[in-house]
Amino acid sequence: MTGDRRIWLWFMPVLVVLGLVFAVPVADVIRLSFSDATLLRPVTGYGLGGYRAAYGDSSLPAILRNTALFTLLSVISLQAVGLAIALLLMRGDRRGLWGMGLLRTIVLAAWVIPGIANGLIWQMLFSEAPFGAINSALRLIGLAPVAWLSDPANAMASAVIANVWQGAAFSMIVFYAARRAIDPVLYEAAALDGASAPAQLLFITLPQMRGAILVNTVLVTIQTLNTFDTILVLTGGGPGRATEVLSLNIFNRVFYSYDLGGGAALAVLLLAISMILTLVYLAILMRRGAR
Amino acid sequence: MSPRIGDLLTYLAGIALAALFLMPLLWLVSLSLRTPAEVYLGAARFIPEAPTLANFRQILTDGAFGIYLWNAVKLCALGALGAVVVATPAAYAASRFTFHGKGPLMVGILMVQMISPLVVIIPLYRYLDRLGLLESHASVIAVYMAIGLPLSVWLIKVGFDAIPQALEEAAAIDGCNRAQILWRITLPLAAPALASAFILNMIMGWSQFLVPFILLTRDGQLPIAVAIYNFAGSSSASTTQLLAAACLVAVVPALAAFLALQRLILRAIMAGAVKG
Repeated sequence: MTGDRRIWLWFMPVLVVLGLVFAVPVADVIRLSFSDATLLRPVTGYGLGGYRAAYGDSSLPAILRNTALFTLLSVISLQAVGLAIALLLMRGDRRGLWGMGLLRTIVLAAWVIPGIANGLIWQMLFSEAPFGAINSALRLIGLAPVAWLSDPANAMASAVIANVWQGAAFSMIVFYAARRAIDPVLYEAAALDGASAPAQLLFITLPQMRGAILVNTVLVTIQTLNTFDTILVLTGGGPGRATEVLSLNIFNRVFYSYDLGGGAALAVLLLAISMILTLVYLAILMRRGAR
Repeated sequence: MSPRIGDLLTYLAGIALAALFLMPLLWLVSLSLRTPAEVYLGAARFIPEAPTLANFRQILTDGAFGIYLWNAVKLCALGALGAVVVATPAAYAASRFTFHGKGPLMVGILMVQMISPLVVIIPLYRYLDRLGLLESHASVIAVYMAIGLPLSVWLIKVGFDAIPQALEEAAAIDGCNRAQILWRITLPLAAPALASAFILNMIMGWSQFLVPFILLTRDGQLPIAVAIYNFAGSSSASTTQLLAAACLVAVVPALAAFLALQRLILRAIMAGAVKG
């Protein structure tokens, strides 16, 4: 091929756009995080003031705890639900059962619903007004209503449920593809040896899917960390600050409190976590590629 | 356990899961067809006794909702188109040429995918403000384009990889130059990959909230996702049925696009997520 210089021309458009919209702003967020800027006033000085204010904020430990809890519960549930559906689909396919394509379509449909609409839909379901869907159904079968959104502990669970309902399709696809790639000979041999279905799951399926599970863990964690539109509509971060996660906190801090320096300092934290996870992801991909 | 009992259990679990994933949408439909009086009956009357389209009529004849839908279509279509156009040369080069630094470059592009728009929107807001470009659709489209680029480059590269290079060589022997080969042979063959990337970008753009919420402030410019957020803020318990109808109006285009193009989208997600 032609010399190196002309090859870069092919990449010029991508590099220019990504540079202007991502690289320069990321550098600027790091700069702003060391400044005292607000949304209303330009930088007047640099220092660690933003970091001190943002990281010394008495609400930060609670927000980080919320973020960790929301992410942990979401990632575990997203993967468990995704894996269960993928394995169910696989079994149905193998046995030629009817309706497996339909099930896959239904689960995937939730995935294309905008996060804002997702939050609104679940707010209508969790609504604690007498006519709220779940509570009025509970009352019909004679059970007491639940404070889905006004009790801090329940609100976190509600946010996780809404997030899992929408996001499970992604894990399902990843696991479905990985499960299909497993050599059927392994299962035939295990069946000959008399291995039960749970034993096959434990000793063939899960070990063979280890790579997919690792990759999915990283991708789903990054997605969940960056999610906030569903929570914004569902609980607004409340009751109190019970469901305020880091991304929502940054959003509020910058665009409602105008605290640009402090918001940028926390955005740097979000960025650092994402980049560390991305490096883990790349390390996994490279190890799998080398094999 | 006999296979038949296993099949039965598979069906039962499948039905339970389908119900779990369908219920929220069906509830939304149920609410959107009710009169205010029937909203108060909650789950006691899932199928409204007097179903009404009045809520949809009210939402759709409110001229603003048509504008919000049109804004959303325009922003995501142009953003998706931009992403495909800008990604294609890079994807082609990544598929066909070997050169020093290719690996790190492609990994770098992939890493951008992991940066939350929340991180970059802060400085972008300030730049655009200073340039007087806040409230312009062009800047929102540019940001959508950038957000869609990393995935597009990778998806389209996989598409190019699948086209045998021998076809291009044959065309070269027939006397075509590189531009002719690209235009007449390679790009038409890559059309399915280009289409998948475009559609996936469209669907992701439809979900965008943060970027238009921050960069657009004039009501007439907002896409539907931001509009229903504002609408939810201004509505009350007595307008739940209207909010449900508005929500459906925002959800249905994405659902319809997905259902029509499911195969293409599925292939795109698999190529993107699994092959990385």
